[in-house]
Amino acid sequence: MEAPDEIFEDEDEALEIPADPMRLNMGPSHPAMHGTIRMVLDLDGETVMNVDVQPGYLHRGFEKSCERGTWAQVFPYADRLNYVSPMLNNVGFALAVEKLLDIDVPERAQYYRVILGELARICDHFTCNGASAMELGAFTPFLWLLKVRDWIWDILERETGARMTHSFGRIGGMAAPPTDGFADDVRAIIPEVQKVVEEAEGLLKKNRIFYDRMEGIGILPKERALALGVTGPVLRSTGVPYDVRKDHPYMVYDRFDFEVPVGEDGDNWDRFSVRMEEIRQSIRIIEQALEQMPTDGPVSVQDPRIMLPEKREVYTTIEATIAHFKLVMEGLKCPKGAVYSFTEGGNGELGFYLVSDGSGTPYRVRVRPPCWYNLQAVREMLIGDMIADIIPTFGSINMIGGECDR
Amino acid sequence: MPTFKLNGQDIPFEPGDTIMRAAWRAGIEIPHYCWHPGLSVAANCRMCLVHIKSGRQMAMPTLKWDEKKEAFVPDTKPKLVPACQVAAGEGMDVASVGDEVENAQAHVQEFLLLNHPVDCPICDQAGECKLQDYYEEHQGTAKRKRTEPVHKPKAVKFGPTIVYDAERCIMCTRCIRVCDELAKDHVLDMRERGNKNEIVLAPGRELDHRYTLMTEHVCPVGALTSKDFRFKARVWFLKSVDGVCTGCSKGCNSHVDFDPRYGKVYRLRPRDNADVNQFWMCDDGMMTYTEVHEGRIDAPVEGRGDEAERLLPEESVDAVAMKLAETDAGKLAVVLGAGMSCEDNWALARFAEKIGAGRLYLAAREAEDVGWEADDILRTADPNPNRAGAKLAAKGAELHDLEDLAGDIMAGEVTAVLALGHHGGEREGALDSLAGLDTVIVLTSNEGPLSRVASLLVPVASWAECFGSFVNHEGRFQTFTRAVPSPEGVEPAWKTIAMIAQAMGKDLGYARTGEVRDEITASMAPAAPAGDDAAGEGATA
Repeated sequence: MEAPDEIFEDEDEALEIPADPMRLNMGPSHPAMHGTIRMVLDLDGETVMNVDVQPGYLHRGFEKSCERGTWAQVFPYADRLNYVSPMLNNVGFALAVEKLLDIDVPERAQYYRVILGELARICDHFTCNGASAMELGAFTPFLWLLKVRDWIWDILERETGARMTHSFGRIGGMAAPPTDGFADDVRAIIPEVQKVVEEAEGLLKKNRIFYDRMEGIGILPKERALALGVTGPVLRSTGVPYDVRKDHPYMVYDRFDFEVPVGEDGDNWDRFSVRMEEIRQSIRIIEQALEQMPTDGPVSVQDPRIMLPEKREVYTTIEATIAHFKLVMEGLKCPKGAVYSFTEGGNGELGFYLVSDGSGTPYRVRVRPPCWYNLQAVREMLIGDMIADIIPTFGSINMIGGECDR
Repeated sequence: MPTFKLNGQDIPFEPGDTIMRAAWRAGIEIPHYCWHPGLSVAANCRMCLVHIKSGRQMAMPTLKWDEKKEAFVPDTKPKLVPACQVAAGEGMDVASVGDEVENAQAHVQEFLLLNHPVDCPICDQAGECKLQDYYEEHQGTAKRKRTEPVHKPKAVKFGPTIVYDAERCIMCTRCIRVCDELAKDHVLDMRERGNKNEIVLAPGRELDHRYTLMTEHVCPVGALTSKDFRFKARVWFLKSVDGVCTGCSKGCNSHVDFDPRYGKVYRLRPRDNADVNQFWMCDDGMMTYTEVHEGRIDAPVEGRGDEAERLLPEESVDAVAMKLAETDAGKLAVVLGAGMSCEDNWALARFAEKIGAGRLYLAAREAEDVGWEADDILRTADPNPNRAGAKLAAKGAELHDLEDLAGDIMAGEVTAVLALGHHGGEREGALDSLAGLDTVIVLTSNEGPLSRVASLLVPVASWAECFGSFVNHEGRFQTFTRAVPSPEGVEPAWKTIAMIAQAMGKDLGYARTGEVRDEITASMAPAAPAGDDAAGEGATA
């Protein structure tokens, strides 16, 4: 990679002491390179002249691994895509297989998925914004925001048994119905979460240091964002109001009243603000979903060929034993064909392209990881900024290695 | 050929064919339990009910639940017929799908599972059970019956090979028919009615004819299990390759089921071949897989008795080459093996030509020595899988038997022996004269009379450990595929021979099985009995 020539042309007029261009490796093991990524920087002094972003250090062969188990065995892998909001991946994959099977899950399950998913989204945004602040020296807001993540994880743990990698989605529904105290628990933390959003904004929005590091830094023009396939908060920060939940509503999202916040400049500040505002919108969705969710009824389709039967039935009736055996040993049989199903993940459009050959094992699982497309924009965002700006800019992309590299 | 329509698709049939048989020939499965292409029609399981839409329709009175009235109201449904029993007719329009038929299939399936025990986790049939497959494909509903299932005898010993579980039995009578029609021995029958129905032995009898394992093979569920295979392996871990039975010269086609994790063969299953064995194999043939792991020779041995010394695998080739170099080729007896593949025999015969050893013999099992009895079902009189293949390898040269060999040794015309295989010499004292020779080199996979008199024993791959071919009693050339890896350092016999030849500076030019096989098929091409009997054809049928 050659540094552009023009920077040397006006060497004589430069105020600073002329320096030779320098090539610097940042990462792959660097505290600010979330999830192991390498950037090869061409620097003129402290100015970034060019960046070569090299992902792939977290490649585990996710898609290939999916081709050796059953469809249901993909869930634990899906958890480990965007591990900051695993529930959204779980639901995204379940919806894709359900599209292949052409089934709809009961309404109660859909509301349950929405609420758990939006809780995961709040975690995702809090983690991203908290980490951005921390990396700019503001450690208190980081702890302040992650406190909320712990509250939410407490709820998710009570519901699913796991704080982080839940593996709670199922093809045809959810693994278990909501616990008795679920709605009350969620309602109880909502005002607290709102309070923390206000407090965090209070800590950061009038902070000169934070503001200067975020405003006007890492600008991504709208046209470039669209050209690169950027989605999610990063796209919305440039002023494009594209949100899968609004534009291509899935599950019951069309029944909720919520806004799609957008920014103007596509800089770090806009990305930060869009995420904060989306947390408020997620809370609105959760409140409405809690109101509308049926209090009883199944949370999965009642077909033993799709859902594992109850253990009690498996031990006592031959029908359930056979259903269990078939689902575990051979896996759920999806009809031959291919689908593309997409949802709004924490970082944008999370798509699953599935190909089935009619057997119990996926023929192909292709993920459209939102991070991957967002990461493409990083080079353009960084060129011309200072080396220190890499940290907040890269942080505001919220690249998650597990999802980006798969 | 006349045709009828099955679910809109044209199916050709021969006059006299049932709907089921014509569909089976066309490769379309109509769900069934009791029908088997090799057995007579029983039409008792009712799983294959289909709707013949053409012709005069019969309406069956029935009751239907009316949502509005909240009561059952009279209704009619079409009369369904068993596809396995109704003869196909020109232009017939048959449906094996659709609400009426699928409803019937679901209910037959539910009925068969009414009293079925919760046995899948401990049942050897699990994973290849029709009840499981059809539950998933045609029923898919939870149990409605909430009363205790009817209990019947379990683990009933039917004979030396078969165990019966009456609770798992769906009374398809396939096992009864296989005894009646294949083995011609009416040893099984059925008693009682309804849910007390069970399969029983004829009084005073055991299930002990020569085709008992076929009862297990045709059992669509886990009612009959083979004592040999019981609780040994779970079928979903097994992989399968095409094999050819080594029990006799019939050359029955088989599936060799093995576990790739352990490199172990667990059982054989008959592989359908209308020209050879139809759907069947005899018990002795089914059990030939045991020789893959029993009495296996896994390292070369030099010397006899107390002086016997194990060699390293890589030393054996040089040891043989050295011994042969010292030997007068004119007094060397080269013994082909009727139990080894065409490739192995071919390579040995070519090697004999190369070193100028003109004395060819054939080691083969004699029926009376090994207690083999032929029948007019499958078993031939010759208990060697490849006598014809060995003759083919000799290219018309006369093959003397082991008795001649003993005579030639006595006469001093033979002073050294190079033998292939473990078949032959089973008669008491038949190989005594060989035990006195200094040089008896035996290339074989298993212990046998020949390996016991060897002065230098070289292990080679067994039939399950290499690719190869046999020529059966009617001259049919059939190939088989490698299932499991051979022990460390052990190669197929043809390759071992090629290596020995190379060590002696007399390269045979064989590096792959195909190169040997091409020579064999080229030599037999004009003499092949029929056009479609050419290389490998039999194995794919």
